[in-house]
Amino acid sequence: MEQLINEIKLKLIDALNLDGMTPEDIDDNAPLFGDEGLGLDSIDVLELIVLLERNYGIRLANPQEGKAVFQSIAVMADYVAANRTK
Amino acid sequence: MLTIKKYVYIPCGTDLTALYRAEVGDYPKFFKMDTACKLGFLLAERLAEEPRFTPREDRAVLMFSTCGSLCNDRHYEDSVREFPSPSLFVYTLPNIITGEIAIRNKFEGETSAYVLEWFDPETFVALVEQAFQDAVTESAVCGWVDARADDDFTAFAFLVERDGNGMEFNKETIYGTVNQ
Repeated sequence: MEQLINEIKLKLIDALNLDGMTPEDIDDNAPLFGDEGLGLDSIDVLELIVLLERNYGIRLANPQEGKAVFQSIAVMADYVAANRTK
Repeated sequence: MLTIKKYVYIPCGTDLTALYRAEVGDYPKFFKMDTACKLGFLLAERLAEEPRFTPREDRAVLMFSTCGSLCNDRHYEDSVREFPSPSLFVYTLPNIITGEIAIRNKFEGETSAYVLEWFDPETFVALVEQAFQDAVTESAVCGWVDARADDDFTAFAFLVERDGNGMEFNKETIYGTVNQ
């Protein structure tokens, strides 16, 4: 799981163009959205949906599902591990 | 009369991530920003005064450049070839610099972004003075942020106030300060 978490962090940094950020800057359990965590916003959800589809073959049809899946890196990793098709 | 309370600049070629880590470090949204916004954000951090983060309507934010968002526009254009990146697209407007500064500092006054043909102190001063013509504005963060490329930029800013103790904010003092 630790390897998957690190991989998702790297893909997220690349997808969102978080220039200069490293995986160590991202707390596994910190919220991805809002001021308390990574500071992502609704625009970034689109990038995360594409990230899941491209890299793990996961298609999120329901945007509300994304809200739950993108709570934190740890939650994303659990979801990817349980639902990936590639 | 408008006066200069503080002047700051960031030398061309500065590693902005290293500067953020050294001087700020508590605002992860920084990493999302394009180069122009990072410069504006860091300039505003250097101009910041205590107490911070108290909402105020009396401080305006005005940013000037010749390049606008051109540097990020190029990155966005590159992304379009594969997948048009929404996170890059949001930075394809020059006025987002003023928004980022206002949001971070809770400045609720006027925000304006101007794209000029060149750095003209006379126009710079005239437009800042114009911002003080309302009944609310008492101070302004105003800067020149010209990001020609990620490692090629000109960035400086002034904290200007009404009737302060500093040098008068006019084209001569600006020209002299910037060219020191």
